[in-house]
Amino acid sequence: MVKIAVYGKGGIGKSTTVSNLSAALAERGLRVMQIGCDPKADSTVTLHSGRKLRTVLDLVREKGNGFSVHDMTAIGYRGIVCVEAGGPSPGTGCAGRGIIAALEKLKEKGAYETYNPDVVFYDVLGDVVCGGFTMPMRNGYADQVFIVTSGESMALHAASNIAQAVWNFRGRGYAKLGGLILNCRKVEREDEKVKELADDIHTAIVGSLDFSKTVQKAEALGKTVLETFPESQMAGEYRRLAENVMRACGGELPC
Amino acid sequence: MLKQIHGECGIQPACVAVRDAKFPKPFLQQPGLEFSSPARGVWNIVHIGMLLPQAHLIFVCPEGCLRGVVQTADEMNASGRLSTIDVRENNVLEGNIEKMMVDGVSDIIGKLPQKPPAVLIYASCTHHFIGCDLTVVYKALGKKFPDIAFGDCYMNPIMRKTGLTPEQLMRRQLYKLLQPREFDTKSVNIIGNCNRTDESSELVRLIRESGYGLKDIVLCKTYGEYLKMAESPLNITMLPIAHAAGVALQRRLSQKHVYLPLSYLYKDIEDNLNRLSDILHVPERNYSKNIAHAESSLHKAKKIIGNCPVAIDYTATPRPLSLARLLCEHGFAVARIYADEFSGEEKDDFLWLKEHCPEIEVCAVTDPRMRVAPNCTDGKVLAVGQKAAYFTGTDNFVNMVEGGGMYGFDGISRLAGLMADAFLHEKDTRKLIQIKGLGCNCCL
Repeated sequence: MVKIAVYGKGGIGKSTTVSNLSAALAERGLRVMQIGCDPKADSTVTLHSGRKLRTVLDLVREKGNGFSVHDMTAIGYRGIVCVEAGGPSPGTGCAGRGIIAALEKLKEKGAYETYNPDVVFYDVLGDVVCGGFTMPMRNGYADQVFIVTSGESMALHAASNIAQAVWNFRGRGYAKLGGLILNCRKVEREDEKVKELADDIHTAIVGSLDFSKTVQKAEALGKTVLETFPESQMAGEYRRLAENVMRACGGELPC
Repeated sequence: MLKQIHGECGIQPACVAVRDAKFPKPFLQQPGLEFSSPARGVWNIVHIGMLLPQAHLIFVCPEGCLRGVVQTADEMNASGRLSTIDVRENNVLEGNIEKMMVDGVSDIIGKLPQKPPAVLIYASCTHHFIGCDLTVVYKALGKKFPDIAFGDCYMNPIMRKTGLTPEQLMRRQLYKLLQPREFDTKSVNIIGNCNRTDESSELVRLIRESGYGLKDIVLCKTYGEYLKMAESPLNITMLPIAHAAGVALQRRLSQKHVYLPLSYLYKDIEDNLNRLSDILHVPERNYSKNIAHAESSLHKAKKIIGNCPVAIDYTATPRPLSLARLLCEHGFAVARIYADEFSGEEKDDFLWLKEHCPEIEVCAVTDPRMRVAPNCTDGKVLAVGQKAAYFTGTDNFVNMVEGGGMYGFDGISRLAGLMADAFLHEKDTRKLIQIKGLGCNCCL
């Protein structure tokens, strides 16, 4: 089982990237589980035709412990197992604590054993702001962390912070930094800036995604690029990225 | 100045006749204000931790939360076995709580007159909230002190009503330091109890007279003796709060777990004993004499107690409905049962009482109305348990918690004797019930 956490600044395109990666890997016959770790609970929305999923924390709130692993999941495009951790209402509660509670509940309910996925993606909200957001990096969860960034200053700053967190935890057996994913925003010297960051944090850019309206069009249809425009250039980019990510994790994709 | 206000404001206790009560929760419990009666005989997480012989206990939590645990240790004359680490706001802000735990525990160990073989570390809700990675802490401590076993324990009141209760969790964690050993096929454990099970009970006699050695943490005087509990291929639990410990050990050490629940119904008792005989590969025994003795003891007690109202609470026994049924079947005037909730195991007893004794009152314990309910009744009352004694204001009570180590037909005989004695001889209720952890000196 390859377990991957994807971090990055809010709005940088993590969920879009992760969902397309999930779809690309599912196309290659892998069993994929995607876990959205964001109170907005919209990580997997393009994988199951925009239907709203019951979040793990909603279930905990409503049913205590009286629910099964299947209540927490929805099977989406090409059998992708979709999970949304959920969280408190905006402005209330503790989102970090919510992620901890949701991930613990998934483990407790035997989600990994039940679905036995080949690949698990944790799509994690924004920057590493508290202990809760490091949960997906911890021992027993993700093995590799990938950071989505553009050449924009704030995105680079967030990526640097996340890399710092991974570095801080290096002695703990947590996830290792797998690399950067460049999600282009047509910023001046974008490739160069992201390369500089990669060098600074001793990692590599595992893939680059062009700025493309195809992505927006697919999202407007509530689906991934892979499902809506499978022959498009962007679909090809996501497929290549999926191969690179798997390679960086030490795995190869079946032909 | 605080003024005691009980009995004067006309508020009735939160009670319902058993005929109208719902099972397993007779009262609508809403999160919020609760009443904690001054009856303190039940064991808390400090008492249970102290059962681990020679262990040192370290609580890591904000200063204000330490009051109760420090008092408990002091009351036990065991302050030397408990240390504390004060979590402050800056630990949360700086994110150094894990390092602070490692440094703090190391400092305490260095200052102890003797290095303990085991240290139980109690993390608090602060750790829970901020997502502290306790595995990192225990890993670091294990590396630093390879000759000390570290046990993870929890003082996390925010999770009191979620998942395992603190009592269940503590009893499970108490056995977590047991490591796999070669089984001694002639050894049996009783786990999860705070009372020593009576040697005269049919259960203990069955074990011993069948040639098996009995191990129980309440009998252990050294850490080495505790570790030998891993040699028993069989763990017996008899209390619902101990069940999780048995399940965990079965999974971790492959020790067979058999749950033989404390009950006051003859059939249940006989079934449990026969089940144990089967597991021990010995012939079933005939218990007719034991039953006759229990019957005789109950009749004797009834003669003495007569129609005096009897009140039972859930701290005296985890099966108050089963006990009420036994007593009603033998003519006792059971008037009240104090419990907020019943164990699912008691459903048959509940239905029996509903049909045969519908007037018995079920009274809440933590409902805030109990704070101001009159803690006195008209005439003499015999109480079984400290909370029942407190709420009825009686000095005639059986001072016991968690079944008092009484089990089986022998347990019924003993309890009947204690009830008769309590009816005849008053106790100093106020003095007795305010001491925490009845019988906890067995830890020392």
